[in-house]
Amino acid sequence: MWMSREYEVLCIRCPKGCRLRITVEGNAVHVSGFACLEGKRFGEEEVRNPKRVVTTTVRILNARYPRLPVRTAEPVPKDKIRDVIEALKGVVVKAPVRRGQVIVKDVAGTGVDVIAERDMEAVG
Amino acid sequence: MAAAVKLAGKGYDVALIERKEELGGILDQCIHDGFGTKIFGKALSGPEFAGYFIDEVSKLGLDVHLNTYVKSVNAGGDVKELVTVSPRGVERIKARSIVYAIGCRERHPFEIKVGGTRPAGVYTAGMVQRLVNLYGILPGKRILIVGGGDVGMIVARHLYLEGVESITVVFPEEFFVGLPRNVQQCILDFNIPFRPRTVVKEIVGKERVEGAILVKVDENWRPIPGTEEFYPCDTVIFSVGLVPYAKKLRAIGAEIDPRTRGPVVNEFFETTVRGVFAAGNLVQIFDYVDDAVESAYIAADGVEKYLAGEGRLDNPVPFKPGSNVRTLTPHRLEWKDERPVVAFLRPAVEGRAWIIVRGGNGEILKKEFRQYVRPSTLERIEIPREAISGAEEVYVDVARV
Repeated sequence: MWMSREYEVLCIRCPKGCRLRITVEGNAVHVSGFACLEGKRFGEEEVRNPKRVVTTTVRILNARYPRLPVRTAEPVPKDKIRDVIEALKGVVVKAPVRRGQVIVKDVAGTGVDVIAERDMEAVG
Repeated sequence: MAAAVKLAGKGYDVALIERKEELGGILDQCIHDGFGTKIFGKALSGPEFAGYFIDEVSKLGLDVHLNTYVKSVNAGGDVKELVTVSPRGVERIKARSIVYAIGCRERHPFEIKVGGTRPAGVYTAGMVQRLVNLYGILPGKRILIVGGGDVGMIVARHLYLEGVESITVVFPEEFFVGLPRNVQQCILDFNIPFRPRTVVKEIVGKERVEGAILVKVDENWRPIPGTEEFYPCDTVIFSVGLVPYAKKLRAIGAEIDPRTRGPVVNEFFETTVRGVFAAGNLVQIFDYVDDAVESAYIAADGVEKYLAGEGRLDNPVPFKPGSNVRTLTPHRLEWKDERPVVAFLRPAVEGRAWIIVRGGNGEILKKEFRQYVRPSTLERIEIPREAISGAEEVYVDVARV
């Protein structure tokens, strides 16, 4: 049977919050209403395999603050968010750390690395 | 940092004064992503976005004063003098122009009339964000968040993912007032409970918060009798808006706009004190950090014009918010220049709309269509100089389609 489905989705890639209209016909996904290519890609993924960038912190030693902000380098499947958070709970790193440095490779089997969001100098 | 980098890049001698122990302002605690889509074309986190500018500052070798508090400013003359206090002691800095970029502050429980006691466990959302993201300290286990703003929603998601026992968001409006993307990815993604048309009447507890008395309100935010309910919790977090931190500018005699609660500025973000400029959330609350950075770039252009002694208009042109516009910057057109005027406005309505720039007699000078405007999203419009030349005053309206 030939089915066509329409969705209205709010793009969350940036604060603009474009309203995307997504039509799925068989294997074809058509997105409209986006203002940039990030939005087009988001729309295509949101109906198939919704993904989110996970941001959290890990313990860091010998730094100005006890926590280092980290994020997944790419969006991960929405149902893996909890697993990513859990996988990072026991992680401890040592300063210095550079922005973009990989903190955990292939986190929770997602194939996506977790990277540091900022430089953190060693103190003391 | 954006204004400093731009001016230093043009060869000016720039000093950057920062009260904290590192550069980057509030971005250090905004660890979520979504920053920089306009400037960098990708969704960075706050620290990453700040990191780009910190790198620029260090590459250019700017004169950076950290841990430095500006005690007083004499901005009256052609040479401005700042008195600063830092671990090095009291110092005087002379400058020909100053750009203020000191941001905004959070509104707090005392500004929204919450009754009851003030035990431990009452926070603002930004404070919680700082405790959680920098120090790894959770404020409590059973959380009530008051206000449907962005910081509150982002904090709600973070606390939820950290595994608190319970969490509810209440707000007096019909729906969340923050950005729709945050409603989706912070609240709806995780089914975090929320109650619209609900406010906190009283906080209950002696040593520690034991709960809050919630009450339903009507569309005019008046409490509905008989709807009071006790909500047990150990932490109450207020996310009830941001206000430009304009106190320092008021102290040097700059005029303040009661709508934005930031300084009155011309098209180059110069305040009513000549040679003193303002940028970022100190002027108005920007939704995009990219727009805040643009305001700093424009202010830097203004500093350059001011230092070059370029000409001003004989009769400045006032810019005024017209119908369905809550706030508008700039407040006036003051300089001779060729570049288009970048105006920012906050709509008072939601939906498909035209942004209309018109003269005092109603003549339309420029029109731009918007697929969707809403009060939570600051709109940006470029107005060519030739469109407004000859106008004695300029109004900006939002007209629903």
